[in-house]
Amino acid sequence: MDVSDLRKNAKLEIDGQPYVVVEFQFVKPGKGQGLYKCKIKNMITGAVLDRTWRSGEKLEAANVESRKMQFLYSSGEAFTFMDMGTYEQVELVADIVGDDKNYLLDNLECDILFYNDRPVGLSMPSHVVMEVTEAEPGVKGDTATGVTKNAWVSTGYQIAVPLFIKVGEKVKIDTRTGAYVERVNE
Amino acid sequence: MTATRPPGLPWPARVALWDRALGAIRERLRAAGMREVSTPVRVAAVAVEPFIEPLTAPPGYLATSPELAMKRLLCRGAGSIFQISHVFRAAEIGARHSEEFHLIEWYRVDDDLAAARADVEALVDAVFTAAGRPPVARWSTFAILEIVEATLGLRLRGDEEADALTRLAAGVGLALTGPGLAARDPDVRRLAAWTAFFSEWSDRDLDPWLADRGGGVHLCDFPPALAALAELREVDGSRLAARFESYVDGVELANGYQELRDADEQAARFAVVSGLRDAHDLPTLPVDGPFLSDLRGYGLPRCAGVALGLDRLLMIAAGADQLSDISLALGTPGR
Repeated sequence: MDVSDLRKNAKLEIDGQPYVVVEFQFVKPGKGQGLYKCKIKNMITGAVLDRTWRSGEKLEAANVESRKMQFLYSSGEAFTFMDMGTYEQVELVADIVGDDKNYLLDNLECDILFYNDRPVGLSMPSHVVMEVTEAEPGVKGDTATGVTKNAWVSTGYQIAVPLFIKVGEKVKIDTRTGAYVERVNE
Repeated sequence: MTATRPPGLPWPARVALWDRALGAIRERLRAAGMREVSTPVRVAAVAVEPFIEPLTAPPGYLATSPELAMKRLLCRGAGSIFQISHVFRAAEIGARHSEEFHLIEWYRVDDDLAAARADVEALVDAVFTAAGRPPVARWSTFAILEIVEATLGLRLRGDEEADALTRLAAGVGLALTGPGLAARDPDVRRLAAWTAFFSEWSDRDLDPWLADRGGGVHLCDFPPALAALAELREVDGSRLAARFESYVDGVELANGYQELRDADEQAARFAVVSGLRDAHDLPTLPVDGPFLSDLRGYGLPRCAGVALGLDRLLMIAAGADQLSDISLALGTPGR
């Protein structure tokens, strides 16, 4: 691939390791050469490096494939997913799953990333709907907008929600920010 | 947590900003005796530059700048003219780059770079006023090699050959790299070395220097390899390019030339740029033959020309730091 194809989330192979571009900045003096300043993350070790490429340079795209798989269960240290077509199961270690564990409901479909056929990461749907299992009581009469209280969803994740949210209701959560989006009426 | 940016200027304020700024710019340029023109956005050939890639629009390209089209009008006796045009540069996407943007481009016939720099200052002031921001407190003009010396302690004459420049740059921690440095043609190597030097130095040294200093800065008297479409002239015994770049609050805004009028020299420079593009395996671009024959046939009147990035000027005027904060584009590709 050409450096001009660099974007946030582009996947590159450098010295036999897969990297994903996590930050990307393009600078260029009007008549000069463009500089592509990137922070890249090793998709296996999680190590983050700074790298700058220049217009005209060539890069190698990483052989990264993504497959839709369902979350089955977690042992705490490992998370098991299954390909619903082939019933093949793979495990991801907790380090790779990171904060995404907060949104991993049983049977949730996500994209598992494979680098040269080895599972190295997962990418969540941008939003998930989860049930509130515990919530602080709302304070009666407080109708100011923007006031929140603590609630917990079925994975045990704690989230700030508006006062009107009750136990048993479903809420939509943005997995990129971890924030409450809206109440879901079913 | 992903940090979410504020959404930039509210839409009604953006519309007001563009309306007032466009009005102020036209008023100012007309008052300076220029007439407004509008040249085609789709062109048969663009000015061949080392690292400016046009978007294709068969059977031609989208203009990367209105320069050649406006110069052909100048050759035909248009007199001093200006244009506010849409231009396109492939793969330039970032906080301060967009594949599509607006250039204010103007030419003062029978005039020089001092007048062109005064125009830049007047336009910046006019747009700042339109945006409710006080004018730039201080403008200064420096020779670019003077700032190279101030930031690197390296005194360059401007005519160093590729090998010498690469060595000198390495001595101050700037690595000049790229396939152009190994080209057979020494002119291509010189262009490659100076282009790489300017890019690396801008990023590491000049940008922080400009940001520290703030206000308005013109850099002039460029090394001849970076003359692009500007004339060369003698300055204290050295041949330097009659070209300037203007910056406000550390942001590059404008580029001005005492325009090159010699068709043979212009053709030779295009050939050197094409050589550098070949070395980098960049697509071969046609040279604008009709432009060169107009330079030969009609002749270009003596003139000073400037291109100023309108979107960036509005961004600074609004106190924003990304083009998307002031842009009127809704879901356009290449931003």
